[in-house]
Amino acid sequence: MAGKSGRSINNVPENPVRKMIFSWEGILVLLLIAVNIFCSMFSQFYNVSSLLRQMPVYLAEVFLMLAMAYILVLGEIDISVGSTVCLSATVACLTSNAGLPFPLVFVAALLTGTACGMVNAIILTTFPELPPMIVTLSTQIIFRGLAEIILGSGGSVSVTDTASFKALAGKVGQVPYILFLVIILAVIFAVILGKTTFGRSVYAIGTNRLTAYYSGIHVQRVRFIIYTVMGTLCGLCAMFVVSNSYGANTTTGENFEMDAIAMAVFGGIMSTGGKGNIAGGVISALIIVCLRVGLGQRNVNAQVILLLIGLLLICTVGLPNLITNIRQSLKKKKS
Amino acid sequence: MSEYALELKGITKIFPGVKALDNVQFQLLPGEVHALMGENGAGKSTFIKVITGVHKAEEGEMYLFGEKVDFKSPRDAQEAGIAAVYQHPTSYPHLTVAENIFMGHEIKKHHMIQWKEIYAQANQLLKELDADFDARAEMGTLSVAQQQMVEIAKAMSANAKIILLDEPTASLTKSESEKLYTLVDHMRESGASVIFISHRFEDMYRLASRVTVFRDSQYIGTYPVDSITNAELIKAMVGREITTMYPKPEVQQGRELLRVEHLSRTGFFKDISFTLHAGEILGMTGLVGAGRTEVVEAVCGITHADEGKVYLEGEEVHIKNPADAMKKGIVLLPEDRQKEGLIMSWGLGRNVTLPVMSKYARHGFNNNRKEREIARDLLESVDTKAVDIFQSASSLSGGNQQKVVVAKALEQ
Repeated sequence: MAGKSGRSINNVPENPVRKMIFSWEGILVLLLIAVNIFCSMFSQFYNVSSLLRQMPVYLAEVFLMLAMAYILVLGEIDISVGSTVCLSATVACLTSNAGLPFPLVFVAALLTGTACGMVNAIILTTFPELPPMIVTLSTQIIFRGLAEIILGSGGSVSVTDTASFKALAGKVGQVPYILFLVIILAVIFAVILGKTTFGRSVYAIGTNRLTAYYSGIHVQRVRFIIYTVMGTLCGLCAMFVVSNSYGANTTTGENFEMDAIAMAVFGGIMSTGGKGNIAGGVISALIIVCLRVGLGQRNVNAQVILLLIGLLLICTVGLPNLITNIRQSLKKKKS
Repeated sequence: MSEYALELKGITKIFPGVKALDNVQFQLLPGEVHALMGENGAGKSTFIKVITGVHKAEEGEMYLFGEKVDFKSPRDAQEAGIAAVYQHPTSYPHLTVAENIFMGHEIKKHHMIQWKEIYAQANQLLKELDADFDARAEMGTLSVAQQQMVEIAKAMSANAKIILLDEPTASLTKSESEKLYTLVDHMRESGASVIFISHRFEDMYRLASRVTVFRDSQYIGTYPVDSITNAELIKAMVGREITTMYPKPEVQQGRELLRVEHLSRTGFFKDISFTLHAGEILGMTGLVGAGRTEVVEAVCGITHADEGKVYLEGEEVHIKNPADAMKKGIVLLPEDRQKEGLIMSWGLGRNVTLPVMSKYARHGFNNNRKEREIARDLLESVDTKAVDIFQSASSLSGGNQQKVVVAKALEQ
């Protein structure tokens, strides 16, 4: 079907292995190894079993990163997730204390999260011109406010049925359930984003929303689904948060949105949209989790850990630019 | 001192795998209006961008009044007295006319911007150009023609010695074009040399003294306008004899496909009715801002009409969004290829198959192999100058980008 000039156009992709080695994810894997070597030198308690034992506390936030990645690829942001976790955790505690069977408590938490996500989704898709930052800042305040009203003057609630929540924090051998769940969900989220038409639509919207719309993509439908799923994962996260703390209070889930965003951005998912993938997000989440466990074992102040992660973030966000520069100059030399 | 205001020799510009300019030359005399002509994708716009320092040529030399120059950025070219006015004015819509005119070379005194002086000078310039608007007007509220006038005023305020006009008349009405002609005369009289790109022979005859033709990225020749015939010029541009300027194929008009009745959208268009038959090409004409695009967008479901009916093959339809329109067999090739037609940072293949990926997907999974085949076939069928389907849309010249948009529309 060549045109009048008979010019032929190549359609064979370049070797994927080569591409992978030079990619951001490749660097992150090296960094993950480096962080683990550092941690095991820094703390004599740092090993596989202590890591597995202590990581569940931090893994709950990885759920949030999975959906946050989609929102960032859309070129948007959701800063209400911490509050949604708080509200969901509150509902989980209260329904459990009211004597609801544990599976229904689980469902109640998921539904609460989903409902919150749907509120964001409805507002954002009904008024597509509203900036997500402002909308989710408002709902952030509203959701946490609701939790505070429900929690009342004490501002906190403890679960009486600790056995069920403890079971949720259980393990198979040394491996905690939550790690399995993180891996399964990460694979599902990665496949959907990377291999399906839905995922391609997300990238299209995040790179050029107008072209995506003109190309027949249901922009608002995609956004609606993503914000709603974000809420559902907040509910899931809340269940594991309660399983660690056996309760909820007005500060539950504070800053979770920033942690989720940090994990994603650190993983190469640009907040400007259209770039990055789940693999990067997961590896960077693991780096952060390992750092927290390792530094935490030597009682390094949580604030200092944050500071270190922040520094690491700034340095690494600058790196991709450096790498593309190097790649480009290499390419130029070749041609 | 050289006899030329601007001279380029042996300019070669390579985009990934494609020679956009192949050893071209160009000479501009002082005080001359010089037309640059050629088919879409001949390399005219790229050439302009080389002169203005937007692109850097791989090979070749450029002389400004006999002195060799090497622009590293548009800023360098501006400082050397070269100004460009593009087809779509690249201005700041929320700033005032005067702010736009003096952007980058504000009048300052002790590091403070002298607004009074700026507005006075801007109004003086506008008066010289016989403009019908004030320097305090917001840029975004002006018509395309008026915005172009501002760009020209900007070039003049910067005392540009060489002014490049890239298809300045493309979006102007006849009377607006007339006005532009007087402006160009004005520029020439004030001592500037002008290069302008245009597809309209009318422009060339009215303004230029010489014309240079590019074809397939190569320099074909430079001719005095008075002594070259239309036929010779067309032959130079397309490379073969053209017997009729607008060949009109005989078409059997088929059954009615689309009927639009009394379509209205408040503030945009009112009471629009037309019918489209099978095998027919229906032209829609009017001034910029007359609402042509808006009508088509409403028919394709991008926006929604307030009143009126649309019939497809005799049946009334309500098209909710572009996806819906595509399902019904209506495809829009959008006006602005960079904002609406393409995802510039994506590969050509992904761009072409974006609207049809679900058609080939299995259980929601992209069929990448099939998509690659389709993309290649489509891109070859419209004769895109590209090396592979993975290169980004932004790596192509404007004309070739448009071909990709066409390829994209073909498969839907």
